[in-house]
Amino acid sequence: MFKDLDPILHSQLRLAVISILISVKEAEFTFLKEKTNATAGNLSVQIQKLKDAGYIEVIKQFKENYPQTICKITKQGVSAFEEYVKSLQTYLGTKN
Amino acid sequence: MEQQEKQLSEKESLALITRMINKAKDSYHDTGIGAMMWGAIIAICSLVKLSEIHFGYKLPFDIYLLTLLAIIPQIFITIKEKKEKKVRSYDDTYMDYIWLGFGICIFLMIFIVNSIFSVWGPVATEYRELTGQPSPFRFNEFISPLFLLLYGLPTFITGAACKFKPMLWGGIFCWVCCVIAIYTTIKVDLLLTAASAIMAWLIPGILMEKEYRIYKKEQANQHV
Repeated sequence: MFKDLDPILHSQLRLAVISILISVKEAEFTFLKEKTNATAGNLSVQIQKLKDAGYIEVIKQFKENYPQTICKITKQGVSAFEEYVKSLQTYLGTKN
Repeated sequence: MEQQEKQLSEKESLALITRMINKAKDSYHDTGIGAMMWGAIIAICSLVKLSEIHFGYKLPFDIYLLTLLAIIPQIFITIKEKKEKKVRSYDDTYMDYIWLGFGICIFLMIFIVNSIFSVWGPVATEYRELTGQPSPFRFNEFISPLFLLLYGLPTFITGAACKFKPMLWGGIFCWVCCVIAIYTTIKVDLLLTAASAIMAWLIPGILMEKEYRIYKKEQANQHV
């Protein structure tokens, strides 16, 4: 029996964000925007959804008088991502 | 990325994950300025010391004090690089600790060497006065190998962790020079130290800076 894929992660932009954040310790909003080629508005919405799910931590601060948003993956986010990849592998038959 | 929450097939998901992880990995680019600066300073200090011994003159100050002065620009370089970075990798944290630990080890080594000199110096002087010959044990000929041993470690680890071969080979070069320096005179030791600084930091630093400029140019072109 196949497990349902996590609906929070099974979306293009949110998965892209989580995939970046799993590889780094923390990333600025501008970095995520640059790497995903998303619009600021859309990215903000998706980041908020990931935050609400407890998958990422969002730190808002000021850097040289400009607002700066830093995103970090949480332990819960790491577990969800690992579970998601496992489910994908099961679907694709790459893992028994 | 599209505005809508596009649903992906399983294959597309895996491809996206791989692509994004690679993009994140590709975002680490060191400016190489710090490496260049330290490579140049250590090489200059060693060569000046060598010329002092070879030509028999003495500067009014110890040339190695330059390394203490270099800490000031290094602090500014570190702050500037940290400010410019939009992403912080796990490697960054480890590298910071490794190089900080290296700095502490160097200063501890200087302290140890000076402590040994303060004890051994009078003994060597007394030996020379009594026998009329220099002491058979010349501790100063073993100082360079000790420092080369230390130089190699963070350089080798950085080269391996960042998959930057010039630094990896630079670290190995330091260790090779360390072994050779055990059997050579102090003049050759200083030459080997200068060569190690050039191979381990100056040349990799120049290459890093070149790569960084290319990366910056690519980034600028993407935003046009």
